Amino acid sequence: MPKRDDAMTLPPGRGATVTRLGQALRLARLTAPLHPILVHFTIALTATAFAFDLLAFLFGVDALGAIGWWILAAAVLVTVATIATGVKSRLRLPVEEGEARSFLRVHMALGPIFFGLLVAVGIWRGMLWQAGSRVTWWYLAAMAGVTLVMAAQGYLGGELVYRYGAEVKFRYRKLAGDREPFPQSRVAQRAAAKKSARRS
Amino acid sequence: MPDASFIGLGPFQWIALLVALVTLLVVADAWAGHYRRGFIRRAQYAPFLSGGLLVIFAVAATIAPRTRWIEVALRAAGWLAIAAGLVGFCFHHYYGIVRKPGGYKWLLNSLMYGAPPLAPLALTAMGVFALIAEKGLAGAPGIAGLPLRTSLLATIVVSLFGAILQAGILHFRGAFNNPLMYAPLTIPVFTALVGVWMMAEPSPVALIALVALFWLTLLTGFVGLGMHLRGFDRQMAGLYVPLFNWLQGPPAFAPALFVGLAAIGLVTTGLL
Repeated sequence: MPKRDDAMTLPPGRGATVTRLGQALRLARLTAPLHPILVHFTIALTATAFAFDLLAFLFGVDALGAIGWWILAAAVLVTVATIATGVKSRLRLPVEEGEARSFLRVHMALGPIFFGLLVAVGIWRGMLWQAGSRVTWWYLAAMAGVTLVMAAQGYLGGELVYRYGAEVKFRYRKLAGDREPFPQSRVAQRAAAKKSARRS
Repeated sequence: MPDASFIGLGPFQWIALLVALVTLLVVADAWAGHYRRGFIRRAQYAPFLSGGLLVIFAVAATIAPRTRWIEVALRAAGWLAIAAGLVGFCFHHYYGIVRKPGGYKWLLNSLMYGAPPLAPLALTAMGVFALIAEKGLAGAPGIAGLPLRTSLLATIVVSLFGAILQAGILHFRGAFNNPLMYAPLTIPVFTALVGVWMMAEPSPVALIALVALFWLTLLTGFVGLGMHLRGFDRQMAGLYVPLFNWLQGPPAFAPALFVGLAAIGLVTTGLL
């Protein structure tokens, strides 16, 4: 029987070091949830579009403004997929009533609201781009508002994953060397329970 | 076809595209409602046939405008959707109110718990928009003696009033358990009223107010979509039990009608 913490001796797919392409291909099952992947595109593209438009406004460089428009258009398109995969993630996520579910409900409500705001600023930006106009303070203020809503939405999503383990808990493979606690005998379990009862 | 365009598409191409998107969502909600009743009548399949054709030819008209056979097909699909919506309205009225125990004496109860009485008219409205888009793509100046812009505004106003009424009935059934459930009874009402003002006496002030209200109605629709999604998760087990809660929860895509109507309004005021 192979040692648990010796990655070289474990069979492929059970934590062993991958040394060949064939092994890597056999391990690729695309089991990772897509929502956390796409979310990063939405956040990065929206924030970058805002940054480019702000720079274009401050320094009067039209090329930066054009980049801002195309990045925002990409953000709107990617966010459709982000929302769709978010709903798919929820479909396979058993969450009992409580704190995590409250976070999840707000996250679900805020998603389409953020998308609506993104579409609205996207149309506005498209109109400015088509007219060959530069962005205005009003547009930048609206974009700052959208970015704030996005930050709140991202925070809620982050809490769901990193505090409550949504789509992560029980779904990842353990790293080599990550040992499980040594199983206790019944006698030792009883002794530990008595000890903790005395303490409390 | 007018010269004004937005990101490469003319106003009637945008309207055709919006008709396709909204029809898709209307049909999805119809599927949920009819599946819940077990498709006990063959007529319950009608919205999928008429709506499906409308989606196909509206998308085709967006991609290839000024193609004769697509225009004819879009017109036919538009009329079919209008007919299907009107027949659906009669069916919903008959089986949802008249045939229910108590009939008209229990009208409020039947309006709330029977088949949604005004829902099929959303398909009719999309059919009318398709006919107007077809006329616009063909370069006609008007439809039924009205300029295209006026006919679009009139259809938007009538559809908004219908959507507000239907949302009002269902949110009343939900006892307005969240303050945001009053939203469809506020901004869209002002939008429809200002739309009437704009048609009766067009002026720059009315236009500015109407455009601002169309933007707010668009956002109200997205807020509704988010809140309806949250509504599923208020049910036991939420979307982890998807089919059951989709059937029993709030109509998933109904608020998208406000988004679609507001978007058509913005195209009408901005590009026509």
